[in-house]
Amino acid sequence: MPAVSKGDGMRGLAVFISDIRNCKSKEAEIKRINKELANIRSKFKGDKALDGYSKKKYVCKLLFIFLLGHDIDFGHMEAVNLLSSNKYTEKQIGYLFISVLVNSNSELIRLINNAIKNDLSSRNPTFMCLALHCIANVGSREMAEAFAGEIPRILVAGDTMDSVKQSAALCLLRLYKTSPDLVLMGEWTSRVVHLLNDQHMGVVTAAISLITCLSQKNPDEFKTCVSLAVSRLSRIVSSASTDLQDYTYYFVPAPWLSCKLLRLLQCYPPPEDGAVKGRLVECLETILNKAQEPPKSKKVQHSNAKNAILFEAISLIIHYDSEPNLLVRACNQLGQFLQHRETNLRYLALESMCTLASSEFSHEAVKTHIETVINALKTERDVSVRQRAADLLYAMCDRSNAKQIVAEMLSYLETADYSIREEMVLKVAILAEKYAVDYSWYVDTILNLIRIAGDYVSEEVWYRVIQIVINRDDVQGYAAKTVFEALQAPACHENMVKVGGYILGEFGNLIAGDPRSSPLVQFNLLHSKFHLCSVPTRALLLSAYIKFINLFPETKSTIQEVLRSDSQIRNSDVELQQRAVEYLKLSSIASTDVLATVLEEMPPFPERESSILAKLKKKKGPGAVSVNELEEGKREGGELNGGGGERGGDNSTIAASNASTPSPSADLLGLRTGPQVSAAPPSAGSLLVDVFSEAGVNDDGFLSSAPPSAVSEDAAPPLPESNELLNKFVCKNNGVLFENQLLQIGIKSEYRQNLGRMYLFYGNKTSVQFVTFTTTVSCPGELHPQLNVQAKPVEPLIEGGAQVQQVINIECLGDFCEAPLLNIKFRYGGALQNLSLKLPVTINKFFQPTEMASHDFFQRWKQLSQPQQEAQKIFKASHAMDTEVIKAKLLGLGMALLENVDPNPENFVCAGVIQTKAQQVGSLLRLEPNAQAQMYRLTLRSSKDTVSKRLCELLAEQF
Amino acid sequence: MMHFLLLFSRQGKLRLQKWFLPLPERDRKKIVKDMTTMVLARKPRTCNFMHWKDLKIVYKRYASLYFCCGLENQDNELLALEILHRYVELLDKYFGNVCELDIIFNFEKAYFILDEFLMGGEIQETSKQSIAKSIEASDMLQETMEEYMSKPAF
Repeated sequence: MPAVSKGDGMRGLAVFISDIRNCKSKEAEIKRINKELANIRSKFKGDKALDGYSKKKYVCKLLFIFLLGHDIDFGHMEAVNLLSSNKYTEKQIGYLFISVLVNSNSELIRLINNAIKNDLSSRNPTFMCLALHCIANVGSREMAEAFAGEIPRILVAGDTMDSVKQSAALCLLRLYKTSPDLVLMGEWTSRVVHLLNDQHMGVVTAAISLITCLSQKNPDEFKTCVSLAVSRLSRIVSSASTDLQDYTYYFVPAPWLSCKLLRLLQCYPPPEDGAVKGRLVECLETILNKAQEPPKSKKVQHSNAKNAILFEAISLIIHYDSEPNLLVRACNQLGQFLQHRETNLRYLALESMCTLASSEFSHEAVKTHIETVINALKTERDVSVRQRAADLLYAMCDRSNAKQIVAEMLSYLETADYSIREEMVLKVAILAEKYAVDYSWYVDTILNLIRIAGDYVSEEVWYRVIQIVINRDDVQGYAAKTVFEALQAPACHENMVKVGGYILGEFGNLIAGDPRSSPLVQFNLLHSKFHLCSVPTRALLLSAYIKFINLFPETKSTIQEVLRSDSQIRNSDVELQQRAVEYLKLSSIASTDVLATVLEEMPPFPERESSILAKLKKKKGPGAVSVNELEEGKREGGELNGGGGERGGDNSTIAASNASTPSPSADLLGLRTGPQVSAAPPSAGSLLVDVFSEAGVNDDGFLSSAPPSAVSEDAAPPLPESNELLNKFVCKNNGVLFENQLLQIGIKSEYRQNLGRMYLFYGNKTSVQFVTFTTTVSCPGELHPQLNVQAKPVEPLIEGGAQVQQVINIECLGDFCEAPLLNIKFRYGGALQNLSLKLPVTINKFFQPTEMASHDFFQRWKQLSQPQQEAQKIFKASHAMDTEVIKAKLLGLGMALLENVDPNPENFVCAGVIQTKAQQVGSLLRLEPNAQAQMYRLTLRSSKDTVSKRLCELLAEQF
Repeated sequence: MMHFLLLFSRQGKLRLQKWFLPLPERDRKKIVKDMTTMVLARKPRTCNFMHWKDLKIVYKRYASLYFCCGLENQDNELLALEILHRYVELLDKYFGNVCELDIIFNFEKAYFILDEFLMGGEIQETSKQSIAKSIEASDMLQETMEEYMSKPAF
């Protein structure tokens, strides 16, 4: 333990800290802390009044414990008592505690504010500074209300000490940021601006942060600061390195103040007054000149401080964007830094050049550095620097160098860091589109993109290529040929299959003349990929097949056979099944004319902002893509390709499917525009949700649920079978939730992170209207703080034979066990129907699958070894023990099914993380079937005991 | 303005945390976790800057301790490096050849020194002499030696 060097040491505190450091384990540390907490608590509660020193010591210990990461729920009162101590060190510790452990307890805030008020009026500068620091540290609205009027007075009063002025300026800035409405500068404005002329450099340094913030918000009121700032800057820049004494930092005069002045000037346009402007240009030139002088010191601090000013000056030059001479000099300076041996400077030069590239004066000058930047992308060892290089290439790209830059970025993508691939893909896609002169190059580029980095090609990218191909007939034949060739590769990315399916479905006829790509060859090629694809892609391929039937009548019988096969027409996925059934029917009953009309080529997409650009903006946050660039993007987008809408990709928009429910992929599109999945229009005769009947609800099953007899206006209690209904949906998201002889309720749902969206389809099975149809969704009891469920209103009237849709948004706040209740009331022929069901929202819906290797799995498994973390059940199989069925169910559960992890191949293990708003709960699962005994043993381990238990309960009903 | 300043050891142990914006405890813990993992994973001789969410992260290692701060977009990275350096100098001047243990055992002093230097995430005073003088002055305000010696240890 080191001797306390200065100040008043607290021996008890030092001993305690050293005890903690000597603890060998986390448990020992917690034990020691609990002992100390008990000790402090008893001292605070004891009859004997504590002296100031002891109080200070204990408060300080509490603070230490809090900073170690433990919760502190007492001691605030003692800390507040310390504030009014006469002893400085006690007061200081009291303030430190309050600053770190802010408590919104209003009683305490009043006491704290009182203490602060006393110290502010004490005229003791040290006490005043402590009080101001406390206000700035807490920075709450209550404090702003209490002191926003007082602090400007302290700031500008003639007799205030310099150190207090500094604190007051920054304290006021803090309050202004919290509650701008409470800080009224009005009469103080000019005196605050004149702080720029203060003799004390420290005061100017502190005040300028306040002035900069105020100027950004009220530029007109503060515009007199411009000339003051220029003259102050000019004095600093021209001073010798020793003039400013202790404000010179490693031979650089006042670097912090200089940078702040240059930053303040960036709130304004170039000065209108010629003299002021001349003086400023002189300053900027001097700063640029100094960069060429030999350094006054070899220390990195010297060059950092000097270059900090230089970069800030360059930012100002770029901001003005009006002095071609300075812009070009700035660009040359940055060009030198691009090859500097200091990585930091290379990084900053790349970053700074990005903004320079958007100026018309310097764009060409920036372009001359293209080789250096490409080299940086290839050779920099540091990923953050490579990222900046990629940004700069993107910024400097124009029609003259687009091909080179896109090619370099593509080749970089093959080895790029995973963290930046998606962004790189978006950038390549945008540049390829924006600067495409011939569209075959564009198509090649995007297909290359999919080939190289298919996993990172987001939907927006492949939607976009389809939009463009649809909108430009000169490239359609080329696209069909290229995509056909690309699909020949033995392993091609699923995104390639999507693009291929769509394009061949639309334009396969353009290459059908060549016997090597005859209709049947095209179809066989596509269909050879079918079984390896995910459901949305299969759905898309099915649509491509029906389009083939229209384009090439000779493929009709082959395709009908495919559609008719059990794996399509009885597919367990409702979307696929529905498409197969409908397309098969359509192809057999519709005449050629009808077919040709329904399956006509897609019309051009309407012009809108490129969805990729929107995605990049979202990814990088606002401001990442300059307005300039956006407008340009729009303009060029419009002129070159007729643009594209937000709809894309999925052929489900073809007329034939207007009787189908919205496809899952259409919903993904909807994410950008909000939930706009339109309710399917009622089709005559049959119920739309009939296609869900794979869910196993047989038509005569309604006898089991007698018509609801309750006539009370209160919500009926949940149906006795509602638990069973709930269990049906643990491992799947779509199907029929409920059916009796009046009503059928179909359900479709999708989940992402801790959010979910559910579509309920209420079908009227009778020929009579349902009136005053209302539904309410409620979260009973404990569920309320755990789940946030919002139901959109539903149509109050359902015609006989019709169907209405309701959207329900779900947010998981914490883990939960109960299910939300859905109550439905309506009148059928005058009789009130009232029934309640459980909505199938179960905790597993919020799983994110987690892939992991065997080693990791067992390591985590062992980590979760506390008895309450595990839940286990041994139960008899209630269904046939078919491996594929079990796998499908486990996948439906939402966890990742891990292969080759369990030493026994008969067993199944899964891993996933439940996403709730409050926390993430990692869970591991092991399912051990015993075929001989027809039994299972199911084990779940999670970081939270309630989760293990609930998952175990839910799953035990599934097998 | 600076949003936060963190000091942590090579092992990821947090030694000092200063938050210039009120944040819920949960967010703070997340930031601390992200910063320690990101910074500790950096290879030697890489640059001292990173982007994280919409913040610029600037960090530097001094002996066994990492100094790491989060800045807003318009802040100057190089100057932030020098803020870290100046803070190290101030600690050094106060403790005399400062080491990690000084900050562990005298964490309250480390906070007081920081408060003299930065406030609300902005620079308050850059002069080493002025800051040293105010720290000196506050140390002078402590109780007399007799008072101190007569205090019980626990």
